[in-house]
Amino acid sequence: MIFEFISEGSRGLVKKMVTYTFTGSENIYNLGFGDYNEITKSIDDKSVTNNGDSQKVLATVASTIYAFTQKYPTAWIFATGSTSVRTRLYRMGITTNIEEIKVDFDVYGLSTETSEWEEFVIGEDYLAFLITKKDNIFAL
Amino acid sequence: MTMIEKLNTSKVPILVFDKRLEEFRGKNLFPEKLEQAKEILAKFGLPKQNKKPC
Repeated sequence: MIFEFISEGSRGLVKKMVTYTFTGSENIYNLGFGDYNEITKSIDDKSVTNNGDSQKVLATVASTIYAFTQKYPTAWIFATGSTSVRTRLYRMGITTNIEEIKVDFDVYGLSTETSEWEEFVIGEDYLAFLITKKDNIFAL
Repeated sequence: MTMIEKLNTSKVPILVFDKRLEEFRGKNLFPEKLEQAKEILAKFGLPKQNKKPC
């Protein structure tokens, strides 16, 4: 599934794309996110747009999770940043909104310390995240 | 209700279906990220959780 939206900020309009791609593991989809280049018709997930609306962009990406899991309620979403800095940004975004997120989703983090998946804990450092709807009866 | 009010009261984004996106159907737009995801899932497995399979 593919979503497209426009970041509107100090550097103008930047087209963003969010994709959910089957990983090959049952019910697990990878969340891909980046800037769409109209000329090369490619996506750059390492670009730093600096458009001054990163919180809105992150919230919009998060909102696609609601849309995706509404369509695929048994899905698990795998997410990690294209860089460690970006993974930390995702962690901060989850941390800021964890109470609201936990109403609808279970969130797991792959601990950098133990190399094991655990329920998301504020302040812990993670390599990647797995998210699924709270009422998802499909166990991994 | 205005579009902004709708956006602010809904968790799910207001979606407009765009046929142009059909050109990406079946394409892997983030091959590196997908490989990375597969590697991590293969190496570290999956969370232990209490949910029962259906």
